Amino acid sequence: MPEYASEIRQYITDRFLFGDDEKLGDDDSLLDAGVIDSTGILELINHLEERYGIKVQDEELLPENLDTIANISAFLGKKTA
Amino acid sequence: MKTAAGLVHHFLEKSARLFPGKAAVVHEHNRADYAWINGWANRLAHGLIRAGVRPGDRVVLVCENSVEYVVCYYGILKAGGIAVSMTTDIRPDGLAEALKELAPRVLIVSPKAGKAVRALDPISLGIARVMVIGPGPAAQSLRREAASFPEDLAACPEENPGLAIEPASCAAIVYTSGSAGRPKGVMLSHANITANTSAIIEYLGLTSNDIQMVVLPFFYVMGKSLLNTHFSVGGTVVINNKFAYTASVLKQMAEEGVTGFSGVPSTYAHLLFKSPLAAYRDKLPALRYCSQAGGHMPRSLKLELLKVLPRHTRLFIMYGATEASARLTYVPPERLEAKIDSIGIPITGVALKILSPEGNELMPGKIGELVARGANIMLGYYGDEEATKKVLDGDGYHTGDLGYRDEQGFFYVTERKDDQIKVGGHRINPREIEDTIIESRLASECLVLGVPDALQGRRLAGLVVPVRETAETIEGILKYCAAKLPKYKVPGSLRIVKDIPKTSSGKPDRGRSLKFFETDRVAER
Repeated sequence: MPEYASEIRQYITDRFLFGDDEKLGDDDSLLDAGVIDSTGILELINHLEERYGIKVQDEELLPENLDTIANISAFLGKKTA
Repeated sequence: MKTAAGLVHHFLEKSARLFPGKAAVVHEHNRADYAWINGWANRLAHGLIRAGVRPGDRVVLVCENSVEYVVCYYGILKAGGIAVSMTTDIRPDGLAEALKELAPRVLIVSPKAGKAVRALDPISLGIARVMVIGPGPAAQSLRREAASFPEDLAACPEENPGLAIEPASCAAIVYTSGSAGRPKGVMLSHANITANTSAIIEYLGLTSNDIQMVVLPFFYVMGKSLLNTHFSVGGTVVINNKFAYTASVLKQMAEEGVTGFSGVPSTYAHLLFKSPLAAYRDKLPALRYCSQAGGHMPRSLKLELLKVLPRHTRLFIMYGATEASARLTYVPPERLEAKIDSIGIPITGVALKILSPEGNELMPGKIGELVARGANIMLGYYGDEEATKKVLDGDGYHTGDLGYRDEQGFFYVTERKDDQIKVGGHRINPREIEDTIIESRLASECLVLGVPDALQGRRLAGLVVPVRETAETIEGILKYCAAKLPKYKVPGSLRIVKDIPKTSSGKPDRGRSLKFFETDRVAER
């Protein structure tokens, strides 16, 4: 799971933070931090589906699964297990 | 139960008397009851008066939807101030410009809005005080703590200030962008807002049993109407700022027994295409109704909603304008299918006419401008008499929308006066093409524009937000349009975007959208 975290952090940093992830903790809400909004989420989901070969169901559009780097890591761990 | 509440904050004061211990606002772990909200709104009001706020002074509020927002909104009104609420996403220069124009006495910001404010010098703008009011991280779990509010407010009196305020005086300034030009500040009086609130309560049949799910920002006039209507009847407002996670919003609606949900067209596009709404059809027994305002929603989306929503959930399609506080018309749900393209009938107290450019009322079926009268029509645009005179005259408020009425008194909007595109000698209504694109089911949102073109003057192009982007998306949409529309109405090019640029009032921003095509012109040469 740790390896997902750093990959995800890298993706978010490159795609949404223009290379600067200094203040984003693993447990910081991406929505609250203004890193992501309702369209950014869809991009993130597309990326996760393509990169990790998973399918994110509509019912899984929950903050517990997607709103922090730690949550995304755990979610990926479950989906790829 | 209709009451003639003269002032907007009377909604809160009355409900605090009748239902003190009842949950007024629910936001994540916070459940704030009416007595608590009223008490803090009073403390804030007294604090504002102490900071020098006098009746008619502007107080700018930059705060996301939260319990604190609600306290601040009513607190400002109780102090006799004019509430001017802005998006927390406002850019520093946008805020600086607005503050110069408004010359507010006090500026209230949430920690989230910090960025825009740090770049300012309040003293040079004549601001007596800047208050930072939650929700900060500490405030989230401590409902009864004063942690969200400046310390000195805790010592202020809890009683209603009871100021003698004229109902006709300005209560709020709400910024709205037209299709062109800078945002204008719509001045709404207490009487405008209370009249509109009563009318909305009437056609929605709202009671103290109603629980509203709020995903729309309170700084929009529609968001505020959700708040004011439910506070007026002593209902409950559930705030969810995580609509991006649609599954969690639906889950909360089920858990809280939400009776009403409101959205603008993009809210419903999102709900239809990117959420488990279908799976929740049997899980929302309490959902009495959904309401839609904030612009034109394509027919195909309305029909899709009627199919997917629970059978007992009524769908209210509505129309209005910020300048009208904002509601003007609604479609009675039982008439929706028969009048699927209509914006409905006027709400109580509103008179709507279709006028020719010369100001003559037109017969049913004839197209003219929708002009409205009623107690809900604004006082005018702040600091802009010229713009005000352009839209307010003896006939009423000129909406800038073109349409007609039918024999049964139902109104229809065909297009916005300013959005008409002229391409190669044809006058084109972009809405017709946009609706067709949405009908293809390949896009959830779109915008059709007339892009400047050396040969034709303008050519048709469009921005589309795909439902699911593939290499064939654009081709698929163009093929669908070609099958449904005459050749000259098929866009020459389409560009895929993440979302359509919106104005500060959440409407598609055609001006900014044109910029996507600017580089094309350079490349052409």
